[in-house]
Amino acid sequence: MSTPATGSAATPRAREVPLFPGAEEPVRSGCVRSGDVELNTLEWGAADAPPVLMLHGMWDHARGFASIAPILAEHYRVIALDARGHGDSGWADAYGWNADVRDIVAVLRSIGRPVFLVGHSKGGGQATSAAIAAPDCVRKLVNIDGLGPPPDHEAPMGPSPSFGDGPKRSLPDQLAGYLALRRRAVSRQAWRAVEHLDLLVERRRKQNPRLSPEWLRYFAYHAARLDEDGWRWKSDPFMGHGIGIGPWQPDWIRLEWSRLTVPMLAIVGTEPDTWGPLPEAMRKGRLSLVPDVEEVSVPEAGHFVHMEQPRETARLLLAYFAS
Amino acid sequence: MTELVHGRVRLALHRLSAGEGRPLLLLHSLYSASSAWDRPALVWPGPVFALDFAGHGASAWVRGGAYCSELLVGDADIALAEIGEAALLGSGFGAYVALLLAGARPDSVTAALLWPGSGLEGAGAAPTESDPPGRHPTLGNVPGDAGCDPHVEILAREFRPPEYARAFAKKARALLLAEEGRDRPLWWTSVRDGANASVVAPEWGTALRELAARSN
Repeated sequence: MSTPATGSAATPRAREVPLFPGAEEPVRSGCVRSGDVELNTLEWGAADAPPVLMLHGMWDHARGFASIAPILAEHYRVIALDARGHGDSGWADAYGWNADVRDIVAVLRSIGRPVFLVGHSKGGGQATSAAIAAPDCVRKLVNIDGLGPPPDHEAPMGPSPSFGDGPKRSLPDQLAGYLALRRRAVSRQAWRAVEHLDLLVERRRKQNPRLSPEWLRYFAYHAARLDEDGWRWKSDPFMGHGIGIGPWQPDWIRLEWSRLTVPMLAIVGTEPDTWGPLPEAMRKGRLSLVPDVEEVSVPEAGHFVHMEQPRETARLLLAYFAS
Repeated sequence: MTELVHGRVRLALHRLSAGEGRPLLLLHSLYSASSAWDRPALVWPGPVFALDFAGHGASAWVRGGAYCSELLVGDADIALAEIGEAALLGSGFGAYVALLLAGARPDSVTAALLWPGSGLEGAGAAPTESDPPGRHPTLGNVPGDAGCDPHVEILAREFRPPEYARAFAKKARALLLAEEGRDRPLWWTSVRDGANASVVAPEWGTALRELAARSN
């Protein structure tokens, strides 16, 4: 399918690297093998400082931490992971919660000393699973609005094909929807290219209307690459066919949480957003399962708390790590 | 052997015998393959097909190892699309997959016979206090001679709440559970007492005759 060129012909193809106030270039990058997938990491801060590992959400990437990481890096070695299929990490034949968790545990083990583990959205839920799976690798856990969607919520978290046909279907009907998707899943090897980066920025803005245009441009630039035929997302489009949250149900994760031995700080924004926060009763119910948990809300932030309020989020993290 | 494609993974579907009438699809147990079925024992009036799940037998391994119950249900569903309305016989982990597929596609699955075998506890088990920590961390528990992708071990570490299995049992047209009187996982007992389920003796001749009767 061809892409209509809706950008102005006068606009040159932007090759210059967008900057964002406070966002700093990582000082190191790394690669961790998890089975036959190579995972990309970005780092800020001194290599011998106590490590912090940060996990992004669905369709995001490690650069999403570029404004909070430099603040934490004054005291810590901050490592941000590109999840498989995202950013500059390798792709897989299939995606799923447990495989993501196994990747995270592989990274935790590669670091070689216990870390402060921070995850946002899906990354927050998976950070929680990883802390249960490998408690010896995690000192403390910070879960940023990663308490799972409402049980009847099936919307995908990003630019994917339509997924399922609405909420509140029975579990067998949900699986039937997943199977129908799988039957017609074609292994696309790349997103369709668009002429201007602005089109990708605009797509992302629709999903994240609370984020500033400057940030979205920075974020989309690092989520995309410029090929001969235009700009396209670097992420694996195949994640839309039964993605990390595919047939996954929040209740499955909830069953694990009572076994979390690592202390958790749960952060949510106060503002309603396209994704989260959960209704308070549901949030309290899930967090009541966690043996050692502190809760905090960040004002003037929606789902992307650390992107909207990096200073305040960093202040909370530094205080929690030091307590 | 027919090669099927499920997303990025090639699957091997074996036709074990020809025949007129309702097809039977065999779904093997964890760390096993189609070649392990006791073919002479499987007396069935119609054609018999056996699928190798991804990571097993002649099917490809999933790069990155993201195996999960529903992905394997997807494998079985791809086979179902190929052969049409069929009865299912699942052993061990294949029994769990057969249950889920029978509930998700009641129009295409006439009945499912659930047989014990390797991986039967898999996704049906709820986590308990006695579970060791670290359900996900490493590989290495797969029998060395199994010839399957070591990553499939993740299937033995999954859990789904028993209500999940029950929701599928309710939608399935007919379920037959082969009992041996030994311990069964929680999901099995939660399914066994449902309106659509009945117990059969764990003897191939009797069980398959009953499955054929339910599949007409």
